[in-house]
Formats: sequence, C-alpha cells, structure tokens
Amino acid sequence: MASLESEETFEDYWKQVCRLFPILCHENREQLKSECPVDELGIMQSIVNQGQDEFVEQLVINEIETKLRRDVVPAFWQHFTIEESRCSSSDAFKEAVDSLFDSLTSIVPVLRTLVFLRQTAQSERLLFGHSSLMESFKVMVRSSLHSQLPLNYQAVTEDFYRISFKVFCNSESKDSDQNESTEDILQCAGCNQEVDLCQCQAIIKAFHETNGKLQELDLLERLAGDVLTTLIHKRIESHVQETCTGSFDVSHIGSLEVWLDTVVMGWLSRIYSSGSLGFQESENKACVSSSETLSKMKQTLRHFLYETYTRTRIDQLFNIIIEYPDSEPAVEDLRICLQKTDMRKHLTQKLQRALETRLLHPGVNTPDILTAYVAAIRALRTLDPSGVLLDTVTQPVRQYLRWRDDTVRCVVTSLTEDGPSDLAEELSRGEALQLDDLTPSEEDTKNWESWNPDPVDADPSKTSQSRRTSDIISMLVNVYGSKDLFVNEYRTLLADRLLSSLNYNTEKEIRYLELLKLRFGESQLHYCEVMLKDIYDSKRINTYLHSDSNFNLDNQEFAITAMILSAQFWPHFNKETLELPEFVQEHLNTYTKAFETQKGNRTLSWKPQLGSVNLDIELKDRKINLTVSPIHATIIWHFQSKNQWTIEELSQIMHAPATLVRRKITYWQSQGFLHEIAPDSFELVEESGPRVKGHIPSDIVCDDEETESAMASAQEQREEELQVFWSYIVGMLTNLDSLPLDRILQMLKMFALQTPTTIECSLQELRHFLDRKVAEEKLLFYGGVYRLPKS
Amino acid sequence: MAQNVNPHSAPEPSSSIKTNEDRLRLSKDNHAVTKRLQKELMVLMMGAEKGVSAFPEGENFFKWVGTITGPVGTVYEDLTYKLSLEFPNSYPYSAPVVRFTTSCFHPNVDTAGNICLDILREKWSALYDVRTILLSIQSLLGEPNINSPLNPQASHMWANQVQFKKHLHETYHKENSKDK
Repeated sequence: MASLESEETFEDYWKQVCRLFPILCHENREQLKSECPVDELGIMQSIVNQGQDEFVEQLVINEIETKLRRDVVPAFWQHFTIEESRCSSSDAFKEAVDSLFDSLTSIVPVLRTLVFLRQTAQSERLLFGHSSLMESFKVMVRSSLHSQLPLNYQAVTEDFYRISFKVFCNSESKDSDQNESTEDILQCAGCNQEVDLCQCQAIIKAFHETNGKLQELDLLERLAGDVLTTLIHKRIESHVQETCTGSFDVSHIGSLEVWLDTVVMGWLSRIYSSGSLGFQESENKACVSSSETLSKMKQTLRHFLYETYTRTRIDQLFNIIIEYPDSEPAVEDLRICLQKTDMRKHLTQKLQRALETRLLHPGVNTPDILTAYVAAIRALRTLDPSGVLLDTVTQPVRQYLRWRDDTVRCVVTSLTEDGPSDLAEELSRGEALQLDDLTPSEEDTKNWESWNPDPVDADPSKTSQSRRTSDIISMLVNVYGSKDLFVNEYRTLLADRLLSSLNYNTEKEIRYLELLKLRFGESQLHYCEVMLKDIYDSKRINTYLHSDSNFNLDNQEFAITAMILSAQFWPHFNKETLELPEFVQEHLNTYTKAFETQKGNRTLSWKPQLGSVNLDIELKDRKINLTVSPIHATIIWHFQSKNQWTIEELSQIMHAPATLVRRKITYWQSQGFLHEIAPDSFELVEESGPRVKGHIPSDIVCDDEETESAMASAQEQREEELQVFWSYIVGMLTNLDSLPLDRILQMLKMFALQTPTTIECSLQELRHFLDRKVAEEKLLFYGGVYRLPKS
Repeated sequence: MAQNVNPHSAPEPSSSIKTNEDRLRLSKDNHAVTKRLQKELMVLMMGAEKGVSAFPEGENFFKWVGTITGPVGTVYEDLTYKLSLEFPNSYPYSAPVVRFTTSCFHPNVDTAGNICLDILREKWSALYDVRTILLSIQSLLGEPNINSPLNPQASHMWANQVQFKKHLHETYHKENSKDK
C-alpha cells in the first residue's frame, strides 16, 4: 500500500494497467499497441496483490460499454437508416452485421485479458447476472443495441431474409425438378438477375456468413426472430392461398406438411445451424440449443399452417359445399384440421354468414336453396359425423325454408322427379322416415366402447341419435316437423300430375308411391293409393262403357273418356266454373247415364275445367288439329256461331270470370285465329295473312301457359280447416262468454280435434288466426280473454 | 217405449258380484256416449243454427252450456237465455236434464229454472238430440202450454201480451243486472 503514495509509482502502475488493457488509454493507443508484448502475468499479479482487480475490471467494463454505446452501436444502426440510395438493403444488413462483428471481435482480446485477470484473482463475481464475462458482454451488446433501436430496422432485416428465402426456395425447387429445361429462363427466379449474372450463390454465402455471425453473437433470435416469424407466417399464408384456390378435389394437407418440413424448416435449420464458426461456446451445446429451438418452432409453425389452411378452407366452405361430392378431399382435409385447431366456432359463424348472404335471400330459387341444403347436409355429415355442426349451421336455412311458400312443393317435386336428382336417388334408397321425436333412444349397448360424448356446442335438448341420422329426406321433412304437410302436398302434386297427363298410365306413380310408403308409412298414403286406383278403374270403366253397344257411346259425334275420381279421397279442386257448349254437355250427359246404369246408385259430377279437347279447326284457308284445354275449346267453339265476341259476352255465356277468358283468349291470338279489333272485342281470322302463314305449327299441344294447379293449395286447405275451428270457437264463446287463448286451444283439442281427420293446430297458429279475426272485428280481445262482439 | 231402453243395460238384475264387469261395460258405454255427443257437437257447430247454440262447459262432454235467443215475433224477442244440459251415462236412452240458468219468466218454467216439456220427460226418444231439444225449448218460449203451468202467475198473465212483455223485460233486466 505504501508504494501507492508516490506519484511516480502510481503513474507507472497506471501505464502498466493500460498496457494490459489498451482500451483504457485514450491518447496514445497507437503507441501502446506498437510496443512489445508486456508481461501480462506479472501485471495481473500485482493488480490482484493490491486487491484492485475488481476496480480495474469495472473500469474496463465501463470503458467497453461507453465504446459500444458511442461508436459500435450507432455505426451498426447507421446501416439501417440509410435511405434508398444503396443498391439493396439486404447488402446493408450484411454490411451492418459484418462491421458489428468486426468491431466486437476487436474488443474480444480485452475480454480475454479480463478473463485471465479473473482467473488469477480466482474471482467468480456476477456481472449482469452472468458469471461468465463473455455472457455479460453479450448482455451489454444486446442492451445497448436495443437502447438505440431505430424505427424501421425491421424493414431492412425483412428484406434480407425475404431475398434469401426466395433464393433458397428457388434452389430447393430446382433440386426437385432438375429435369425441366431451364434454358429459356433468362431471369433467375431467386435474385431477379439475368441467369448469367445470377447472384444466388453469393447471396446464399453472404446469408450463411451473416447468420453465423449473428448466431455467435447470440443476436440472431433477438434481432431477426420477430422478422423471421412474420416472414414465415406471411409465406405460409401466401403458399396456402396459392395451393388452395379453386381446387377442392385434391387433398392438400399432406403436400402442405411436406412443404413445411422441407422448404421452411430446411431454411430455418440453415439459419440456426450456421453458427458453427466456433466463437467460444462449445459446438455441441449450440447444436442442441438450436435443434431445440427448431423443434419448438416446427411445432408452432405446423400449428400455424393448420390454422391458416383451416381458415382458408372455411372461407371457401360455401363453394366446397356446393361442389360437394367432388370436393370431398377438401372436406376431409378440413375435418382433420378441425380436430387440430379450435375453429369450430369460427366455422359456424363464417358458414352461417356465407349461407345468409349467398343463399337466403329472395333472389335465389327455392330448388337452388334445397340443392344447397342437401349438399350442406352431406358435406357437413362428413365433416362432423355427430351432426352437431350441421344442426347449428343449417338452423337459419331451415328457418328460412319454413318461411318460403313453395318449399314443400319443391321438395315433393324433386322427390318424384324423373331426371337425375339427389332426392329421387335418396328416396329409392328406401329407408324409413326418422322424425325428431324426443323419445330417449336406446344407444347401442354393443358399441359402448366407441361412444363419444357430444361436442360442447351441441344442443342438449336433442338426442345425439336424432342428430346422427344421415337421412336427407328426414332432414327435409323435419324442416316442418310434420309428415302431414308433405303427404298432403304430395297428394296435390299427384293429383295434378294424374290429371294433366290424362293417359291412365300409373306405373311410374305407383313405384314412387311404394317408395314413399316405405318412408311415410302406409296409413298416411292411403288416400294416394285410392287416387291411383281411381285412375286405373277409370280406364277399365271407359273401355267397358265404350264396348257396350247399349250405351251407344261410339256412335256419338265425338268420343268421351272420363277420369272418375272419388271425391272423398282427392284433394279439393279449385272452385272454377265453366259452362260447356250445350252440344258437349249433352254428350257428357249421355256418358253420365251410361255410368249410372253401370254403377247403380252412383252418378258423375263433371269438372268441366279439367281435361283436354282434341279439335279440328277448319277455316277458309287452313285446317288444323289441336289439343287444348276445355276452356280454350269453348272459346273457339263460340266463334263458330258468331264471328265477333266481346270478353263480357263470352264471360257471361261461359259462366267464367272475364279475367280468365281474357287470359285464355291470348292463346288463340298467338295462334293467329283471333284478332282484337277493339279493346275487349275479338274477331275470327278466317284467312291468315301471309305473315302468319307457315309458322303456325300444326298439331301442337297447348303448353303455352304456366301449368296451373287444378288443386287448391295446401294453404287454402289449411284455411278451410281453420274455418272449422272458427265455428267451434264461435260456439264456445257464445255459450261460455269469454275465454283465454290457452283455454280455447284446450277446448279445441278436447272437443274439435277428435274428429277422424286429426288436424293439428299450434298455439302460435291459433293466436295468429284469432288475431286476424280480431282485426276483422269478428272477435274482441280484452283483458287477456277473447269474446264475441255483441251483435 | 222400447227405443228408450238401453239394450245393453236394461235387462240388468243389479247384483253386487258383477260390479267389476259393470264398471267395464260402463266405461265402454261412456265411450259410446262421448262419441255420440261429439258428433252432436259437430253437427251443431257446422250447422250454424240461428238462435240456438251449445258447447261443453269444460272438462268433459257430459255437461254443456246452451244459449237460445227468444224467437222473433214473440215477447221474448231480443232476449238471450242460458241453459245447462247434463247428460246421463245412459244418454241417449234417457233424456238429459235441462234447466234455465238465466231466470226465465215463462208459464212452463219455474223460478229454479226447471222446464216442463214433454220431450224432456215422458216423450223422450233417442232420436232427439241437443239441437232438437234447444229448438223445442226455443219454440216453447213463444208457444207456452198454459194447461200445465209451473209458474201460475205467468200463466195468468200470458193472456195480456203487453203486460206480460212489460213484466218479462222488467224481471229479465232486474235478474240480469243482479247477476252482474
């Protein structure tokens, strides 16, 4: 201690310390460097002896820190703030890293000396939380780097990695398809330079060097981690997008996984494993840590890939569903992905929204909605066999379909259509109809091992069994929840079809009926069976009546064949009236008489507006044979006696509404037989002018107008049923004064609904009906009870 | 008279041994009666007869409430009367018990609402139904049987239609307002 007291000894001592740590000396660094190597060990020993090792160490560290903050770091960031003047920012990054590396390596000898010092002093002091000075140094570098972080440093880093990734991808793909001729490619896909000047190799080399340096400095993760992640995510997204657009018929999940493993992971492993220059850490440890990082990254990236893929597929799900049987691989992919990602909710929402915007609006035809619904049922069944997804997603579709008037008709039509239709196919599979009844189903006790609980988003009020049914027709019928509506609609449809074809040919219909019976049960379709039998019987009766000479039917001016329908079993007909010409009526009467003779105490009540007439029209210059409806025939018949008619006159003589006559007359106008000479007044065209001649098709069947149903629609029938209720309700309220809604329903159920034809009526429907009656002032609603107005 | 006897239940020497069987048969008969009443109700509802109406009161088919309005052109015109109809299990082989629940000033109706009408007593036939009963009572209002009165005051007053009508309306409105 005594030696320190003199000035000279101190100066000498300081010089020695400076020699050991050149960094401490600011003025004559050059001079120091040039001097011969010093006796390091001796100096160190003396420092330690004087107990000043900690002090010196602190001094040196401070000096290093200052140097880092003042020179090294600003110089490094300098490269990042340079404007676009540089040729490429990737070079900037490389240069930055290079210079950083150089300046840091220049400090390393100082550190080494410090380490020696520590060894001599046998000090294990913690510095910045590390016992190793090298680690502490790295902490210092990182902290000073981060303390001066410029705003846009990521842009430069990203540029660097993007280009390198592109080059890498390119070389990777080159490896995979070397056979392809690359002669005509003038530009290298990697570096966008001409092939001759391709810099790919250089880029890759620079890339590896830079990464190696960063890795050594432990800066790779800090500096580039974020950038790498975003870059790779972007890359994955764009790759998934590229692969998935427009093709649903190939499964991509496998190829995507392979792509991730080879290309992305390959690139990442190169980045992380290039720190093999051997800075100081043992190589083994670095490898272990980098492979750990890699496997962790791989997991996250794989998950991200699934997520991205699922998201993409979900966005396309509507189209996938529309193309369903062809898009099965996509659905299968999605199913696998859904198990790995938590995106059911997202799927439900997305798909529901897609359905609502693309399907459930007035611009879409009901058959199209039904087709989509059927496809959705099929696709979602594959996607989620438990049926929960289907149940929740298609909820709005069902609701919407219920609201559409023509749903039932469309379903029934497509069920029994001739052409190739999904539903007809489905029908011929012939399973019994499964309705949502809430009876607890007996789960298969045999398969209890494979039982799975319902997903969390399942509706607990429904049994899983009912959800699992894969039957599409059941699902469609369930839209309304009752078979009756469908059966009635089918009855109407069948009636229309039988009456419009008029050819007594029932074989096809019988086949459908049998198939439907399998679904809906015998009893429901009993009426339809009778209808078909009617047609069959009509044929027989016609033949019989015509063959019997007593009735003289064959000697009439024209032959009549009739369809004899049992009024009880057929749906109600539209209440249209039509007065046939007397001459025709007489013929019909003759037929009726023949029928009465044959059938004892039964008679016929004709429906003149149904049927068809085959007539020959002879005009001055032409002769035409046509098959038209009775009303058409009647109109033209009247022109036989008089050349000119007004709509009003015709309507009177035919007992038909003027609007109807007007509508039907257009047919003859279009055929060129009638001509409107004044508003609502028509004249027969005896001689057709040259303009119409030639393109009048002879022997055409009248099919110009939309095929109108001769049957009263389901709604009208329902209206009639409600009318029955109404008379009961009037009776009820007359005698019991006033009743609340639920009591009315209860009474109806008890006293009115026990009639043989069980009619259902829900509380809502009844309320709706009664509200209408209130609006019509046929009923009063006051204080929660209904009563009749005092007359 | 024969038609007024239920062929199933008439020749029945009631003995306690057969009660079980009886009950069984009774419930079967009950069903038949319900069916008949249901049909009658339907006929009544769909027929929409003017001035007469009836409907089961509540829980079952055996107790009905009827409504008749006084026949046009009589002193009872514009007045509405409520009746109760109770059907026995042996209906239609025995007559229902019909009473006025609205008090009715009438020669053949007593103050408790009991009606003196032959078809509800000795002249009952299974061919009658709710509709015909109500129509008969409606016509009874306009054409009372003065010879067998249940309400002598009304019977005496009947000769003077103006006085009768005055008294009738007074009592009707008095009784009705008392109800409310």
